[in-house]
Amino acid sequence: MNRAQQEAYRRDYAQAKKEGKPFFPYAIYKDHIVAILVFAGIIGMAIWQRVPVGPPVYTATSTFEPRPEWYFFFLFQMLKIFKNQNALVPVIMATFLVPNILMVLLVGTPFIDRRAERRISKRPFALSVAILVFIGMAWLTYQGETGATPTSGGAVTFTGITPGSSAAAGQTVFDTEGCTSCHMLKGAGGQVGPNLTTVGTKNLGVDWFVRHTKCPSCVTPGSQMPPFAGLTPTQLQDLGTFLNGLGTTYK
Amino acid sequence: MSTTDIGPKGPVGQVGGAVVDHIDHRTGAKTGLTWFLKRNIPGETSWFQTLGFAAMAVFGLQAVTGIVLAMYYKPDPASAYSSIQHITNDVTWGWLVRGMHKWGASAMIILVFLHMARVFIFGSYKYPRELTWVTGALLLVMVMFMGLTGYLLVWDQRAYWATVVAMNITASAPIVGPYIADVLRAGTNFNSETLARFYSIHMLVIPGGIATFIGLHLFLVSKLGIAEPPWSKRATRARRAEEASARAAARERQPQGRREVSVEPAPQSVTAEAGQ
Ligand code: HEC
Ligand code: HEM
Repeated sequence: MNRAQQEAYRRDYAQAKKEGKPFFPYAIYKDHIVAILVFAGIIGMAIWQRVPVGPPVYTATSTFEPRPEWYFFFLFQMLKIFKNQNALVPVIMATFLVPNILMVLLVGTPFIDRRAERRISKRPFALSVAILVFIGMAWLTYQGETGATPTSGGAVTFTGITPGSSAAAGQTVFDTEGCTSCHMLKGAGGQVGPNLTTVGTKNLGVDWFVRHTKCPSCVTPGSQMPPFAGLTPTQLQDLGTFLNGLGTTYK
Repeated sequence: MSTTDIGPKGPVGQVGGAVVDHIDHRTGAKTGLTWFLKRNIPGETSWFQTLGFAAMAVFGLQAVTGIVLAMYYKPDPASAYSSIQHITNDVTWGWLVRGMHKWGASAMIILVFLHMARVFIFGSYKYPRELTWVTGALLLVMVMFMGLTGYLLVWDQRAYWATVVAMNITASAPIVGPYIADVLRAGTNFNSETLARFYSIHMLVIPGGIATFIGLHLFLVSKLGIAEPPWSKRATRARRAEEASARAAARERQPQGRREVSVEPAPQSVTAEAGQ
């Protein structure tokens, strides 16, 4: 908007105000009606849909999935799109470039769009952006909602693991340390990380799994898996034996 | 509202009036409030322009229910989970307060996004309301952070691991990412201090920021006045008049002989309105 357009707007707005009505009570009554309806909706939902308490942290179960609140689904889902390429550049894209560009666009909107026109029917570009953003967020939220529902299963068993062996101990560690909440084994578990049912076929070696479990991002740069540095060397060794045999010795 | 004066005021009225005058004389509170409530706004406002107020009202509700929850909640990893269970199962109306806080959070997010959408569609972020938009965008980020930090406090499997992942994502951002994640986690790993840190961010840091920015936001909204819907009858009328007078002026600039004969002469009142 140039100086003349700004002055014209100020004049026009002053006129609108002069012909207008006082805020109290003409606008504030509408505000209160809507607020009361919203409050009623919140109380109604609180009564109708009781908020549960999930299982406590560190219980050995694979029937849940670590997912954020629904209003973060679109962010997580967006991240997954970039993340699935599994290289450093997409990671930086997803965690740094994309969010920062979006933030700058959000905060900067009034400084980017400086045209005087306010009617949406005369702002086709702005309208398209609004529709695209809405559809995009709705779609990503929907994907996050349905895409990764945890599939619960009974205790997963593998052939080739004898009770009391190192691999059997490794499987116990896997179940009790919460690995199942992010990883699937034979269709049971979470979907935050990759399915590990056949991870042994990658021929990475026991030592790789030991190092990876202690510090995932040291082995796979940018890895989003949390480190499990607190495990004992024996536990790590058992776990490594178990993982390294998955899909090859243990099926 | 002293529209009709019927006789002398009673002693209560006199004392009350004196107290109000005393305070107003020193703070301007009454004058300010009267200005705020009695200021004119454009005649035609849309129902969509109530969404900001609704978001603010829900913020108030979150503050009240949050205070009640804080009376029972214990921010340490050993007892957080059981204190939530206690609130949900034992405390009178505890489940209701927790439910309202949880659903209120979702409602607030939805309202803030809808409010932003209406501001965008109405073009209300344009001159002179750019800074109102900027303070609003920062409010949006803070509201999202409330959701993130509050989620962990329940300390159940889902929330715990989801937050672990979120912090690892933060840490994978280049340059500042690891530092931000370390500050949020109170260390390079999720640990027992992390919960207390999230608790204080959720209870003190962000609510303070939101309250401050709602104050700024509202100051700007009332100082600049709420925008008029661009398709309101008055705006359309003014725009037509403007266009008519522009056409008339263009005609004036034409040499005498080539002027078209105007079919409908611009009415005097309209040109005056547009030209003032
Ligand atoms: C909070 C979720 C989470 C938990 C818990 C978790 N992981 Fe992971 N894991 C991931 C993610 C995400 C990846 C993908 C890494 C990346 O970002 O590239 C991964 C990757 C891996 C990989 C590498 C797979 C490959 O093909 O490269 C292995 C092996 C692995 N995890 C094993 C484990 C073990 C063993 C545990 C338990 C001690 C565990 N994970 C716990 C999230 C998790
Ligand atoms: C905690 C969140 C927020 C609260 C409590 C809030 C509150 C309000 C209120 C009460 C109004 C008065 C008019 C109305 O209700 O529509 C308003 C106007 C406005 N808001 Fe917000 N808001 C919030 C978030 C946002 C966001 C996220 C944006 C955009 C990024 C934004 C941009 C604006 C603008 C530009 C106006 C002026 C509109 C006009 O004058 O017509 N606000 N806000």
